[in-house]
Amino acid sequence: MLRVLLVTDTDKPIGDLRQALARLGYDMLAEVATPAALPKVVEEQRPDVVIIDTESPSRDTLEQLAVMNETAPRPVLMFSNDGDQQLIHAAVGAGVSAYLVEGLEAARLAPILEVALARFARDEQLRKRLADAENELADRKLIDRAKRLLMDRRKMTEPEAYAMLRKRAMDEGMKLAEVARQLVSMVDLLG
Amino acid sequence: MNTPKAALNSASQQPEKTHIRLGFVALSDVAPLAVAKILEFGHSHGLTLELCRQPSWAAVRDKLLSGEIDAAHALYGLVYGVQLGIGGPQGDMAVLMVLNRNGQAITLSNPLADALSKSGNLKEALASLGRPPVFAQTFPTGTHAMWLYYWLAALGVHPLRDIRSIVIPPPQMVDALAEGQLDGFCVGEPWNAVAEARHAGRTVAITSQIWPDHPEKVLASRRDFVALYPNTARALVQTMLEACRWLDDPAHRADISTWLAAPELVGVPQELIAPRLLGEYDTARFPVRPLPVSFFDKGAVNYPRPSDGLWFLTQYRRWGLLNGDHDDAAIASAISQTALYREAAALADVRVPDEIRADVLVDGHVWDGQDPASYLDGFAMRA
Repeated sequence: MLRVLLVTDTDKPIGDLRQALARLGYDMLAEVATPAALPKVVEEQRPDVVIIDTESPSRDTLEQLAVMNETAPRPVLMFSNDGDQQLIHAAVGAGVSAYLVEGLEAARLAPILEVALARFARDEQLRKRLADAENELADRKLIDRAKRLLMDRRKMTEPEAYAMLRKRAMDEGMKLAEVARQLVSMVDLLG
Repeated sequence: MNTPKAALNSASQQPEKTHIRLGFVALSDVAPLAVAKILEFGHSHGLTLELCRQPSWAAVRDKLLSGEIDAAHALYGLVYGVQLGIGGPQGDMAVLMVLNRNGQAITLSNPLADALSKSGNLKEALASLGRPPVFAQTFPTGTHAMWLYYWLAALGVHPLRDIRSIVIPPPQMVDALAEGQLDGFCVGEPWNAVAEARHAGRTVAITSQIWPDHPEKVLASRRDFVALYPNTARALVQTMLEACRWLDDPAHRADISTWLAAPELVGVPQELIAPRLLGEYDTARFPVRPLPVSFFDKGAVNYPRPSDGLWFLTQYRRWGLLNGDHDDAAIASAISQTALYREAAALADVRVPDEIRADVLVDGHVWDGQDPASYLDGFAMRA
């Protein structure tokens, strides 16, 4: 029976996988919630598979164990040679990483990852990416608008306008986009 | 040959990709990326930068390899670890430039630091613990692991036999030290300063005392990214060179420490970040001022010198992380994007330093990159 360790040190409910995987017949070890606790558990309990959030700070701790100890679980991500690439890629997209002992067949890992996938839809991540991209674009537009205002009203060249915004940001300890936002809203206010 | 101005105006030099996602980990030496973003240094080179904080170096690596991020603030040794596939996936990597030198430190728990100052001998101080000492570093092939191992070995302590070395993410290290789970660690700032402020331990060595002006973080990318988007890569190096140059002004260092304190960057109070970013250390313990973190130093910092990378390969061989027949020099020169760097440095009007540099390390050995095999043979203590 595969021994599965869940690392629960992020907001993602990795721990929720416990019951579902136990029902599939896996041997579920006690969960680990801090990087400092991991080395001991991996060495003493010898899990075959470690399931961990891709955003977990404990991942580097596992990497060290893989390097220092031949029998420690090794990272398997979308780069696995023998794994079901699509499935693993999807798992990572959903925020789940699996580390498994080298030589473990991908076929035995697949049901574990399928359960994990069902839990962690990737919609949330896509929504966040889109929002970030929109913010970035909005910042850029704002800075352009502030530059144009300075060019029109103060008869500056573009590099001069840009230098003035940048100096202001440095002097005030603010982001360039915030300086631009202030300037634009001031001008809007004064008409 | 193009003059810089003509090159900028030429359409063929336009970046192929203009939005660049940059990965980083919460450390004081992320300063060049932070300033480049906050003051939008990229805009004048046609680039929009997006900073993406990562919770682990493993995440930095995976996202570089999958293309989710384009480049990253990364440990010098991370790039070489991925190139060789040590402990994880393999990929062809590129070092575009060095982002900083120095600026890391070794902290010991209070009892161990006391024992060390009493006996003056690390081996004896460790023996006084009466159990195997546990030290933390940040990534198996990373810079902190190599600085820690080198320092221990220079003091007669075998890093693979006399101590247990584990990896703890930098933000969790101080807690682990305070809870007595660690006897010491090697990490970047501000985490050594945080440990002192919380009275969890004391800084006993600055990494520039191990290797004066050692290379530390690099701007890392994939080799195929550089091949596919050469103009973007060049513009990115130019942008980051300007950011590094900006940071050389001490007044600017004070500014950037305020920005770095923000929760989305490092999330540690400014007063813990600023002193060591400005090179201020306790003069009682460090009567000779250690070389501080440097980001530019008239361009001496930033050249991706292949022999710097080669040094990490000598250490991997020393500690058994790399075995067998590899052409180490060829690996280092393929990773180091020297031609691209020279173009970008010319455009940014930054002097490129000499190819060879020679340094005396803490154990008295000289590293100049000319004969790695003899350098490696010179170590009595190894795996």
